[in-house]
Amino acid sequence: MSENDAAQTIYPEVAKIVADVLGIEESKVTLTSRLIQDLGAESIDFLDLIFRLERQFNVKIPRGQIEKEVRGALQSEDFEKAGVVTDKGREVLRSYLAEVPAEHFKPGLKVHEIPTLFTVETFCKLVLRAKARQQEEAKAGSVAPQA
Amino acid sequence: MEFSFVDRILELEPGVRALGLKHVTPHDEFLRQGENGEPALLSCIVGEALGQLGAWCVMAANDFRRRPVAGVVGEVGLLAEAMLGDTVLLDTRIDSLTEEAVVYHAVATVRGRTIATLTDSLGPFLPMEEFSDPDQMRAQFGWIHRPGRPSDLPEGMPIRDVDIPTVCRHTTFDRILSHDSGKSIAAVKSIPILAPFLADHFARKPVFPMSLLLESQLQLARRLLGPTSRPTRIRNVKMNDFVLPGSSVVATATVKDRTADRAWVALRGEVDGRRVSLAEAEFVHEAPPA
Repeated sequence: MSENDAAQTIYPEVAKIVADVLGIEESKVTLTSRLIQDLGAESIDFLDLIFRLERQFNVKIPRGQIEKEVRGALQSEDFEKAGVVTDKGREVLRSYLAEVPAEHFKPGLKVHEIPTLFTVETFCKLVLRAKARQQEEAKAGSVAPQA
Repeated sequence: MEFSFVDRILELEPGVRALGLKHVTPHDEFLRQGENGEPALLSCIVGEALGQLGAWCVMAANDFRRRPVAGVVGEVGLLAEAMLGDTVLLDTRIDSLTEEAVVYHAVATVRGRTIATLTDSLGPFLPMEEFSDPDQMRAQFGWIHRPGRPSDLPEGMPIRDVDIPTVCRHTTFDRILSHDSGKSIAAVKSIPILAPFLADHFARKPVFPMSLLLESQLQLARRLLGPTSRPTRIRNVKMNDFVLPGSSVVATATVKDRTADRAWVALRGEVDGRRVSLAEAEFVHEAPPA
């Protein structure tokens, strides 16, 4: 199953949580809704959302995980210069946030503006990646060390 | 100290847990006539006291460099009232602590009986310097951190001849804006710079406390549901933004679900059309006294 298809499977639960977090009707939430621009989310809502996703899906999403995953292997100075995402940075960002339409990755994008790109699907994928990471860690932990 | 509700910290493991107490005395600004007509502490002030104890616990762990502020509370349980003369034992336990936020749960008891609980409370950290003088906070901590045991006093008799208003003036609204009987109600409350507790919440950045806003909204919902309704649970409480003095908060209470004996009400606060708070409260309807 592709990551996109997998995101669809948990979307109904995530949509309900997003609606609860923002105090809006669930019918207003779609997979492609941007949390800030379309649904009016603010910084405390992101903390609240992560917290509730962790409880609902029994996963651990470390603070700053999105930023860490977004940057991937890039060094900080390759990703951004003076608070502006570099061309190389925008490339990795586009690849990580594949669900976000390309026209939203405008040149001059500031680091603090990155959360404006996040959609409901971004958070579905975040949960799935956290689940996969936990399964890998559990698997690694269960392998007995070689003598 | 108009808005400090931890009178003493009895036990403390910084960043882990704290046990404290709050005496309910005639000096309390936040008293009203309780369910039985006797003076009672506002329920949300008990929740505030639990949150403040959690704040002392984590501020002591970071040498008062950062302070948690009201953010999210998963659920508040309102089980009974703290009456004048009661000593409330506050027990706050930290579930997780990061650079960004603290998550804790807490319980308040009076003579062994649970009167309030907080579950999944999340407080984002902000720099202490923005809100209060760190030295002053350290000094206040020094006054109240006196390890020991609470006094073991007999229950005694309630004192009834204390002049207590039926409602607390700090949690009433100024004007009803709309009222659709049994369905929804909206009201406005303006925050005066004269409010005495603002000097203490916080000294360098006065803001209207989330607990008082919540208490105001519960009373507004009660106006909608009728005087025999009583809040028992509040969930998904969130403070999105600070409410500054001079602001006018428009609060709405909307019935989401209702049965013969209980109702769930959505509570929302806005300043200039912008959401500042959200919560959902459960009310039970009690039979009026015979």
